[in-house]
Amino acid sequence: MQSGILRPALATYTALFLLFLYGPMIVLAILSFQSIDGGPQFPIRDWSTYWYQHLLGLAESSRVSQLPVGESLVRSILLAFMTTVVSTILGVMSAEAFRTKFKGSGPAFYLIILGMMVPGVLVGLGMALLSNTLGIGRAWWSTSFVLHVVYTYPFAFLIMLAIFNRFDRTVEEASFSLGVPPAQTFRRVTFPIIFPGVLSAMLFSFTLSYDEFARTLFTAGRDLTLPLSIYGTFSVEIYPNIFAFGVLTTLFSFTLLVIYGLLMKRFTAKASRFSGQEDAA
Amino acid sequence: MSAISTDPRATSAQTAESPALIRERKDRRRALGLLTPGLIWMALFMVLPMVMVIYVSFWTQTTFAVNSDLTTASWERFLSSSTYLTAIWTTLRIWLIVLVSTIVVGYPVALFIGLFVRNKTLQTALLVACVIPFWTSFLIRVIAWRPMLGTEGAINTILLKLGVISEPLTFLLFSEFSVLVGMTQIYCVFMVGPITFMLGRIDISVIEAARDLGASFGTVFRRIILPLSLPGVMVGSIFVSVMVLGEFATAASLSGRKVNLLGNIIVSQVGSLKWAFAAVAGVVLTIIITAVIALALRLVDLRKEM
Repeated sequence: MQSGILRPALATYTALFLLFLYGPMIVLAILSFQSIDGGPQFPIRDWSTYWYQHLLGLAESSRVSQLPVGESLVRSILLAFMTTVVSTILGVMSAEAFRTKFKGSGPAFYLIILGMMVPGVLVGLGMALLSNTLGIGRAWWSTSFVLHVVYTYPFAFLIMLAIFNRFDRTVEEASFSLGVPPAQTFRRVTFPIIFPGVLSAMLFSFTLSYDEFARTLFTAGRDLTLPLSIYGTFSVEIYPNIFAFGVLTTLFSFTLLVIYGLLMKRFTAKASRFSGQEDAA
Repeated sequence: MSAISTDPRATSAQTAESPALIRERKDRRRALGLLTPGLIWMALFMVLPMVMVIYVSFWTQTTFAVNSDLTTASWERFLSSSTYLTAIWTTLRIWLIVLVSTIVVGYPVALFIGLFVRNKTLQTALLVACVIPFWTSFLIRVIAWRPMLGTEGAINTILLKLGVISEPLTFLLFSEFSVLVGMTQIYCVFMVGPITFMLGRIDISVIEAARDLGASFGTVFRRIILPLSLPGVMVGSIFVSVMVLGEFATAASLSGRKVNLLGNIIVSQVGSLKWAFAAVAGVVLTIIITAVIALALRLVDLRKEM
């Protein structure tokens, strides 16, 4: 579209917007290399990796206590893994169900979607009240876990719904009419088609759960997850070790993203090779 | 369905139903079977806790505990306390300001990515660039505003060096301003995404036709682009609204306790074991969010837009 000044103006604005999005993280990354006697602000006294060593427990003891990230990191990863498995399975099943028209599909749709709409602090409070009343202990692997699934399952469901909407049903029916049993049809026909969606649903579920905080706050009990450990430092004075931690968790997320990208690429490469064979034959 | 079947199996079957009807019923039963575990999960772990919040809001609060004698005492205390009523007003005000600012800040970006960039690769790259910060922990993104806005932070340092100001600006951090800036940055992406999606679907030849007929860009924007992008604005608004209304972490870490949202009230009441008051605040928050979503859903059919 040609419209004189508008295009460069919008391009500049978008660049400024990206600066607004990234600015705080860039500043945070710079300050994570603050020296031992520097605070969580400018100026940088001296460049060092002291706060990274401090975070990993490699630095000798100092006035700042170490962030309790070790065990909570393991818990968060385990919790995210459990959530990923359950919400992806539920998401695939429900989306598969929605391929058939049935009465009450509207309310069922909104009941599932509500899971991503309800504020975490509300369901968290409700779950805490419920477990108090029933006398069930609260823990990250029980009360927090079920709430994490309530949150991530709608995302998995929506992703799978989008995949199934574009999925030609006759391919499956062809397989059935050739006498292939349903289980094998799912493995050989349906699953390869929906696999990219499953991978995306897993990626979403994992990252959302790994980072989830509001739903965990009231329900995790005594053992903290990673976001809770970070939240605990909010009330006290902050030090550059949180910044170092922020940089490391971001790198971790990017690693996940790269793995996802590689899996996706490998899968699509395989798929295109397959269709190439068909053409040759 | 009432057509006479020539299939021998159907005529020999004892039931008078056609195979299509039998199959349809079988499909429906299968669909319900697949759906049941998910719906049970939602009923047990989402609906039941929410019902519990409403129920407990009528319980009797003693100093350190609640018991199940029903009373409206917590409600009366909540609705007669200026602290809590102020929290409702603050929540609504912050929500409206953040909603408007995410639209104002995000719309031009979506306009550029969705309509002005016609190269698919560049379009995807720009969208990915908008989403990448989302991969950093939410709490880290919130805390990242402290070294940015503080009196010795990046913005004050730069402005002092440039000679724009002689004293560091103190209103930047630990104020309502920092909460608004932080929330706008964090939630803007959820506005940019849906709007870009709707704008990307506009058939460019429609706009070209309008231009050929002599319409100015202003007219094209008002008569074509804006109406077609409105569903995106609505979907984005629903996302931003539910997230901002349930917020407490940004206010807790950036406002220096000057901004108390309903979410903050819930957290502090739970902290002091005032479960019934927390539940009342929870119900009030639920009512507000339900009203907002109901209003938005009247304007847009979510299921159709997805």
